Amino acid sequence: MKLSTCIQDLEAHLVSGSAGVPERTFAHVVVSDLMSDVLVVDEDEFLLVTSLASDQVVRTADIVGAAAILLCNGKNAPETMKKLSDQNRIPLFATPLRTFDVCRKIVACGESAG
Amino acid sequence: MNTLGPVPIDTDDSASLVVELIYRLKVRDVMTREIVTCTPDHSIRHAQELMREHGISGVPVVRSRRLVGIISMDDVIRALDGNYIDEALVERMTRNVIVLEDDMPLGFAISYLEKHRFGRFPVIDAAKHLVGILTSRDIIIALLVEINREVTRLERNQPTNEITEEGFRLEYATRSFDFETAGRLSTETKRRLTEAGVQRAETRRVAVATYELEMNQVVHSQGGRVTVVFDSASGLVTISAVDTGPGITDVDAALTEGFSTANDWIRSLGFGAGMGLPNTRRVSDSFEIESSASGTAVRVTIKTGGKGDAS
Repeated sequence: MKLSTCIQDLEAHLVSGSAGVPERTFAHVVVSDLMSDVLVVDEDEFLLVTSLASDQVVRTADIVGAAAILLCNGKNAPETMKKLSDQNRIPLFATPLRTFDVCRKIVACGESAG
Repeated sequence: MNTLGPVPIDTDDSASLVVELIYRLKVRDVMTREIVTCTPDHSIRHAQELMREHGISGVPVVRSRRLVGIISMDDVIRALDGNYIDEALVERMTRNVIVLEDDMPLGFAISYLEKHRFGRFPVIDAAKHLVGILTSRDIIIALLVEINREVTRLERNQPTNEITEEGFRLEYATRSFDFETAGRLSTETKRRLTEAGVQRAETRRVAVATYELEMNQVVHSQGGRVTVVFDSASGLVTISAVDTGPGITDVDAALTEGFSTANDWIRSLGFGAGMGLPNTRRVSDSFEIESSASGTAVRVTIKTGGKGDAS
């Protein structure tokens, strides 16, 4: 699934890390607020959906090779988190939607994209 | 902006290390404990002799360990001037003494020195007994010693990296609860392995193991060092994580998925799910752990590059 197609439905906007946006695609979605749980995921190139706004989210995404991060629940990313996402070229998006609604919409988006 | 009153330090923008220092250090850590005292029946002349003998500028007046007043060089000069130097202290001492309590943070004491402009403050404990005296000199010395210790530690924290054609050796120090810097080593390791042409999946395993070990030290230990050694000829990566304690009480439990001793604060930061060590072992080809009260040492290896790759 291409990142750009999904973003509109998710009411998300790009916060930082724009360097890698247009070409990014993702085949999996991982939803967690616990980075310890994200680190045990075997797939890479996934969209990381979380409501945790901290530097360690970006570091974790970088270590496991996530395609992008989507911050839900209207959380504001701290400056250091934005900086880190720019440095690591990991797009960071934010949406006011709740995590559950984000998941519902991603599923719908994936189905319509076939 | 949040300031400490007259202390010229902005607690929001200052180096967290310095702010932490003036809160962490208590008056009792800094004060002089060997105190020269008088009783109320002593003469002012006696106090003056004590000041000269010990090279001090004020003497607390004490009755059965309780502070009842203070006499300063200023009072002595006035006594000489007014010709009452042989009178008993009880008549002339300052009774309303500003004191510090021994468990107050140092930042508080600094603001007191600034506010009251006295050269010294008697320090009392919870039982109201006189236990020490605090001067600007004590504070300067204590801060110098502590800052020196912290800067030495920071200097040691600088990564010591050796990169050769045969591979690399990267070493970073971790500090208890220092989440800001945790992850530097794994990020650097990932970059170097990618540059060396190691496969993406293998690089990822190394990065995950390194990151978990770094986070483990930050969350659970008093700090330590994590070292990554890559030998390009054999493709072997060795990661060692050695901390300075307090050690893992039950190593078998710590290796069980979901077992965690982390508190809610750590969890709110997204860690402490009890997956760190099990996940490190999962991505590694060999895994050894030793733990005692003096520290925990973890050594893992990951084979990359196909030569006898165990994965």
